[in-house]
Amino acid sequence: MSNRFLFPHRFKMIGWILFVPAVILGLLTTLFDFTPFEWDATVFAIYDGGLFESSKVMTLVENNVFDEIVGITAIAGGLLAAFSKEKDEDEYIAQIRLESLLWATYINYGFLLFSILFIYGLGFYQIMIFNMFTLLFIFLVRFNFILYKSARAIA
Amino acid sequence: MKNTIKVERAIHSLTQEDLAKKIGVSRQTINAMEANKYVPSTVLALKIARLFGKPVEDIFELSEED
Repeated sequence: MSNRFLFPHRFKMIGWILFVPAVILGLLTTLFDFTPFEWDATVFAIYDGGLFESSKVMTLVENNVFDEIVGITAIAGGLLAAFSKEKDEDEYIAQIRLESLLWATYINYGFLLFSILFIYGLGFYQIMIFNMFTLLFIFLVRFNFILYKSARAIA
Repeated sequence: MKNTIKVERAIHSLTQEDLAKKIGVSRQTINAMEANKYVPSTVLALKIARLFGKPVEDIFELSEED
């Protein structure tokens, strides 16, 4: 009865442990240019659009990989936290899950439409960065809130 | 849909937690069904009826809106 596309329950905690620090680090980096370390590595780029130089295609480039690490950790952690089975995953939880996903998609694109209309320049670029993670974030907040609420409601 | 799960649960003196464990669902599900916020699947309705030893219709009943 429960969904076969979910991760086992034990990945949920791992997901949270990855997601929370990655989101905090990511926010600090995006908002305050916080960079705890520079790790310039040679990475393979399918495409590297140069700002003041010509773009490079299918070649090795130098890049500080801090933001890549934070981004990947946030996405991987977020996916695990969001889509690991609950301890007692059942049909009602599956329904909350689906509703929350729908809800998160609407809110996410609502924010994005609003930003397209009213945010311009570099601000919009920042919004696009946030937007990579907001779908998962809104889902996690809504899903866990409803789970918590329906567990607590006194019958 | 209305149901008498809460009453049946009281008769058998089971907590929400006990009932959830016995039929293998979360406590949230029992809670939501008792609050008429969730209509269970046929499988779950049949399991509940079997546990209480009654026909499904004795526990679940259509309401005006259905």
